[in-house]
Amino acid sequence: MSLVTRNVLIALGITILIVGTIALSIDYLGKQRIEELAAIESQIAIDTLSLETQFLLLVSAPCESATSTSLASELANLGDRLAYAEQELGSDNREVIELKKRYTLLEIRDYLAAKQLAATCGQKDVTVLYFYSNAGDCDNCDRAGYALSYLRDTYPDLRVYSFDYHLALGALETLIAVTKVKNGLPSFVVNGKTSYGFESLEELMTRFPKGTLSTSTPL
Amino acid sequence: MSAELLIYPALFVAIFFESFVLVTFLSAPARRRRAGAPAGGNALPTVAVIVPCYNEETTLARTATSVLALDYPADKLSLILVNDGSTDGTREVMEQFRNHPHVAIIHKENGGKYTALNAGIRATDAEIVGCLDADSFVEPSALRHIIPCFEAGVAAVTAAMSVHEPKNILELMQYAEYLFGIAQRHTLASINGLYVTPGPSSFYRRAIVMAVGGFRTGHQVEDMEMALRLQRHGYTIENAPRARVYTTAPATLRRLFLQRIRWISGFLRNVLFDYRDLVFSPAKGALGMLVLPIGLFSLSASVIVFGTIVFATSADIAQAIALREGIPLAYAYLPASFAFDWFYFPTTFFMLLVLVTIAAWVSLAVLGKQISRTPGGLARGLISFLLFYGLLAPLWIARASVDIVLHKTRSWR
Repeated sequence: MSLVTRNVLIALGITILIVGTIALSIDYLGKQRIEELAAIESQIAIDTLSLETQFLLLVSAPCESATSTSLASELANLGDRLAYAEQELGSDNREVIELKKRYTLLEIRDYLAAKQLAATCGQKDVTVLYFYSNAGDCDNCDRAGYALSYLRDTYPDLRVYSFDYHLALGALETLIAVTKVKNGLPSFVVNGKTSYGFESLEELMTRFPKGTLSTSTPL
Repeated sequence: MSAELLIYPALFVAIFFESFVLVTFLSAPARRRRAGAPAGGNALPTVAVIVPCYNEETTLARTATSVLALDYPADKLSLILVNDGSTDGTREVMEQFRNHPHVAIIHKENGGKYTALNAGIRATDAEIVGCLDADSFVEPSALRHIIPCFEAGVAAVTAAMSVHEPKNILELMQYAEYLFGIAQRHTLASINGLYVTPGPSSFYRRAIVMAVGGFRTGHQVEDMEMALRLQRHGYTIENAPRARVYTTAPATLRRLFLQRIRWISGFLRNVLFDYRDLVFSPAKGALGMLVLPIGLFSLSASVIVFGTIVFATSADIAQAIALREGIPLAYAYLPASFAFDWFYFPTTFFMLLVLVTIAAWVSLAVLGKQISRTPGGLARGLISFLLFYGLLAPLWIARASVDIVLHKTRSWR
């Protein structure tokens, strides 16, 4: 075997080794991301259960003891990471879909808990249910999602829950049925009032109860 | 077709070729060449260094002085200055050397660089002729490193070229590029894979150059055409990595583009039209089966990859801007936090492949600097290269390709 042939084979082997190592590293990092998401979800599941338990314990106690504000920010953090993982690993990734379903359940439970908290204690948080789609049937969903992220980060009293309209999950289908949201995405349910479409941030802000955003303290 | 289908094969080939060069660099033939000692004593062949000049009044004196200062027996070294119809003060500068006993001066009508080289070759009977551009300077020890490389069957020896005193970003970029070229040329020479004997400084056996017909215009790259012709005739082209020669790199974008368009279009015209028989020729070994095919592939791939990346990046930027429309600028375009979060670190397949390619390239540039012992700092050159070369090279490659399609030939300057 000539020197050139030998070196070509060695170089080919090195190249395959490098490409293989990179592929394995990417796979490993993807799994690490999934594991981190799962860990955050587990923590939020415990927090949600704790909040619900607090409710049961504090039915007759002062409302100041029960708060879920920190839970909302944890949920938002998890939502951001999940969106990034979905973008990196693909929306058809089995583990991403599983995590998304669990995340959706956590959101619904937090929404219900926050709603009960508001009813019991008279809190006036503004709640937004945001329905979007990644299936290519929603042109303005990305812009709407980004605008809502801005509002959520700017006004801490605003509670935003994002739902993938097409996610096959019984609880979500029930929520859609209860809120009577149709497939005209993006759609928003602001304090129980449903609206569709997205034009601009300014226009979106007009759908909120008057004074809600302006009286909040921007971060 | 998705962008990945175009980009990944190109990156795979790039990593493969860099691995091949690194493996060959570590192989015995290359190691043996690096261990070679410079020629000693006086039992040396006669050498004539030809300096073709066209309007080189500003650099010629230094070039000539550096040749005359070569560490070589004076009675075996001569300098031939060929004025190729210059219209500036080149003639006057040349005449300053008229009385030097080892300098010959030829004035002729302008006919192009190859005619000046042939005029110089005809004017000497030295065993070895060196071709040195009038904007290049040789180290005193260079010839002592070159001569031992002329073993049996060797028709030409190339030197270790680097950029003389790089100052601006473009020169620094080329400084790093030339160091990479030193390592690559040294490695490919060990398997007779060189396809160019660079104009700024290469040495030839005069008898062989005469036997193959002397220099030709060679689509404005007479050095590349001569190397390919020597390879076709079965000769060997060697490299002396410690024979340092400094050349003046183009300092402006316009001059750099002109030079590179000439190089690339010359390479393509020679390889695709005049020397097509060498490509994929098993008889030509590494040159035919590896160097020339990968050279052609990398030129087309770089344009395609660049176009794909520019298109994809432009689309991403447009999408990101559209996404942020109407959102306060402070939120939309400033990071919320500067804290590092590995979760969001973009570890994509493409990015890691590019990092490996860059790492291998940097390694070769460092090796080039080490084996040639070229002076100067490498860091600024590497930064300039990594920042700008990838943006500029595809443009001159594309432009050269268009010139070939349109049968357009550009002036040298």
